Amino acid sequence: MLGPLRTANEAHTPPPQNRGRLPRAPRPVLASAAVLFLAGLAARPQAQAPAQSGYAGSEICAACHDDIVKAFRKNPHQRAEARGPWQGRACESCHGPGAKHAESGAAADIENPDKLVASRAERVCLECHGSDPALRARAHGAHSRSQVSCVECHRIHGPVEELVLKTAGVVNRQCASCHRAEWAEFLRPHTHPLREGAMSCSDCHNPHGTPRPRSMQMVSANEPGCFRCHGDKRGPFPFEHPPVRLEGCQACHEPHGSRNPRMLVRAEVRFLCLECHSNIGSRPALGGIPPALHDLQSPRYRNCTICHSKIHGSFVSRGLTR
Amino acid sequence: MRRWLPPLVAALAMAQQPAEESKPAPAAEQRLSGTLEFGYRVLSGVGGDFQTYRSVVNLGEGPKLFSLDASWDDPQGRLLDKLDLRMNSWGGDPYNTARFVAGRDRAWRFTADYRNIQYFNFLPSFADPTIERGVLLNQRALDSYRRATDLELVALPGRRVMPYAAYSRNSSRGNGITTFVLEANEFPVPHMLRDHSDNVRGGVRLEWPRWQLHLEGGGITWHIDQQVYTFAGRNFGNVLRPVLGQTLFLDRGNQSLDVRGSSRFARGSFRLHPAEWADLAGQFQFSQPESKTRYGQNNSGNFVSFTLLRFYSAELVSAEARAKQPHSSASFAAELRPFRRVRIVESWMTDRLHDAGAALLTDRLLAAEQVLDARTLGAAERLVLNYNQQEISVLVEAARGLTLRGGHRFVWGDAKTPAPLVVLPGPEPKPELRRHVALAGGSLRVGRRFRLSTDLEASPGDRSYFRTSLHRYQRGRVRGHYQALASLLLSVNLHVLNNQNPTAGIGYDFLSRQSSLGLQWTPGGGKWISLLGEYTRYTLRSNLTWRDPATLRSELSLYRDNGHAAAGWLEVGMPGRGAVQPRVHLGGSMVAASGTRPARFYQPFGRLALPFGRRGQWYGEWRWHALTQPLYLYEGFRNHQFVTGLRLTM
Repeated sequence: MLGPLRTANEAHTPPPQNRGRLPRAPRPVLASAAVLFLAGLAARPQAQAPAQSGYAGSEICAACHDDIVKAFRKNPHQRAEARGPWQGRACESCHGPGAKHAESGAAADIENPDKLVASRAERVCLECHGSDPALRARAHGAHSRSQVSCVECHRIHGPVEELVLKTAGVVNRQCASCHRAEWAEFLRPHTHPLREGAMSCSDCHNPHGTPRPRSMQMVSANEPGCFRCHGDKRGPFPFEHPPVRLEGCQACHEPHGSRNPRMLVRAEVRFLCLECHSNIGSRPALGGIPPALHDLQSPRYRNCTICHSKIHGSFVSRGLTR
Repeated sequence: MRRWLPPLVAALAMAQQPAEESKPAPAAEQRLSGTLEFGYRVLSGVGGDFQTYRSVVNLGEGPKLFSLDASWDDPQGRLLDKLDLRMNSWGGDPYNTARFVAGRDRAWRFTADYRNIQYFNFLPSFADPTIERGVLLNQRALDSYRRATDLELVALPGRRVMPYAAYSRNSSRGNGITTFVLEANEFPVPHMLRDHSDNVRGGVRLEWPRWQLHLEGGGITWHIDQQVYTFAGRNFGNVLRPVLGQTLFLDRGNQSLDVRGSSRFARGSFRLHPAEWADLAGQFQFSQPESKTRYGQNNSGNFVSFTLLRFYSAELVSAEARAKQPHSSASFAAELRPFRRVRIVESWMTDRLHDAGAALLTDRLLAAEQVLDARTLGAAERLVLNYNQQEISVLVEAARGLTLRGGHRFVWGDAKTPAPLVVLPGPEPKPELRRHVALAGGSLRVGRRFRLSTDLEASPGDRSYFRTSLHRYQRGRVRGHYQALASLLLSVNLHVLNNQNPTAGIGYDFLSRQSSLGLQWTPGGGKWISLLGEYTRYTLRSNLTWRDPATLRSELSLYRDNGHAAAGWLEVGMPGRGAVQPRVHLGGSMVAASGTRPARFYQPFGRLALPFGRRGQWYGEWRWHALTQPLYLYEGFRNHQFVTGLRLTM
């Protein structure tokens, strides 16, 4: 049922505290801006313009690295060999000029992105791939922060299947090779169907990074990626359940897997609800209280979602009952 | 506009010319490659609860197309040089996927992606926590499927101007059981679910060496249609005892919810590479979904209104509602490399969401064909969320292979939430978010054999929205890889999260630990034997104070989850001729958890693969699924599965 009548004016009154004032930038933001400014002043060009000499050409490379060159023929990077500025010297587009290495045969005379520090290795890749919109938020991503470079996941010389991970099973195996604890969560009884190959980690996370916490994917510009499949929970609801918007689905669900039905974070629904709706005596946090007629000693009141069935938000009921 | 169009088109066409004259690709042959795997699955019959089996595993019998992976390449093709088709789990399995890619290099690329995921959920322990005591309450169950189709056409991929268009359709259809709630009683009734959304978007990518811009616009419409109905016959619901001297029942009832929504959205992002030592990137996204709802309900039977203290025999409800939710997000990141070994990464993000909605509902109660009560109720609510995050990290290459990272994250925001239904005395809580987080970490890499990375963050806690939100917390992660031998890879993961909120009235104490070990042993490239194994030990402790609303007694909510998870795969090659080598696979996974909801879940398997010729393989497979939950014994199952199939390589 609807709650007490409230006028539209009451409900739509904006919060008074910020009206007519521009928000002040918090101090940490100002401090960071200052650091960036100073860093910009201190910066000097580090990288030299690529030398036009010193290149050996891919045919010279093939003389010794025949196996790699053969595998490379099935690789999309082979296009660089056929046309464009690196025509005939695709190997050196990533490894740098190789004439000296061809003469000496010494590993020290050639650059190997696989052995470089991650930040430099990824700069080699980003030289061409930096324009990909999927990589636009790379700086926000955990992989960039944790020094996981492109070559950790993408095998550069092999066939296309190893370079660009396409099938869900391959993507999941790749992610699980590092994220073992997360993958173990999918062994539980109630999970998203990743082990069955119906979904992949990249359906929910962008491994290259997004501005959202945990590199969560977004749909329809800026809606949480969960709504890509769970569209009926999208809203907008006239009567929202605030945690859905403020904390996200993981406030109540373990998205990787749970031993509890519906992937809930608690074994019984009532505890999940009451842990927030329990601000009796003091109100240090959001979350009201259930009315006293909810006698939890009675089995009837032990599953809140029996009555509050529209727990993700309701189109017609303030109490989220229909 | 017309005057500008020809030079604009000419400029774009010129921009498409690469910097250097390209030469045609070297001649190559057409190539068809791929694999096809199909077979037949037999179930031994499910022991235990079949509904739980369907909720957890749900694999069925019959002929199956397990996978098809086919690629066709023709480097000389004028209109088409590549076709890819991938299909998985067709033939009645609960998850079917397909992906089709076609294109011509640097001319066009078309991608179609389809998936159909069945969702069956009928678990008494979710809806009937006291079923083991013989108390049968309502059920909430679902038997539905969700289909998603994504189509995308990119023109001129790999060139400087790349227009594209995409269409996605997502639909769900199914049935379930839900509750028809009528104040003093709840009646389990059938539920029909329908929803679908259509998403159309298009945009352009502009790519120059030092800057790139991506602009996209689109729209989405959706429709939700839910019906609750009753079969013929009297439904007595949960409350079987007389209420105020009369038995309550539902003879006939209908609820219909019809929601139509739409949203326009736009997003843009850029990347600038103004100097060798600097990269800048930013994004802006905006969406404005809105929904219109019509709700109708009629029910007849014998019901009671506690507000009126009267019985009534019929109810008619109709409602209309609208909601709108403008939502803006923006982010910016700068990466500066002022010195050779120093990298500074600054990122900032904001997310602003305003949800406003209103509903008008009329409700008429009838008794003996007379209107007993008629009410019109209006309600309007608003939810405002402002979230901001700023982070700065400094990464220093302290030594060869060693990178150290330190930084600071500041998260702040505020919200306005609807007033609670039960108004409490005292000042309203001010929903604010404010968190300073110290960041640290490092990565060590010794050649290709050893890699270790750590991430640590800690916050002293300040203001958070909810009792269980992150507050005063420390989080640590360690990931290590050690290639002990060319054939032996060891890996380790450690993860700890300690979150405390000692505020009076909350007393939240949360600690979660996960430790994983992995092993991969493939002597001789796995020709005769290969072994993969992983083991995870996890513990979770959550204590939180809450109060019983009826007695106002302070109680402690305890939740524990202590478990072991393991998965393994052993592959043994048998003697054979050349590449025709029979192989035996053994393995599976298991979870054994104790704590608040103990559970054991086993999924072992064995497989024998017999190749014939260079391109064919027959295999037979056995799997066992078993779930046991000591506190919910009625919700366990076990099942043997046998599969025989062929795998053909093209």
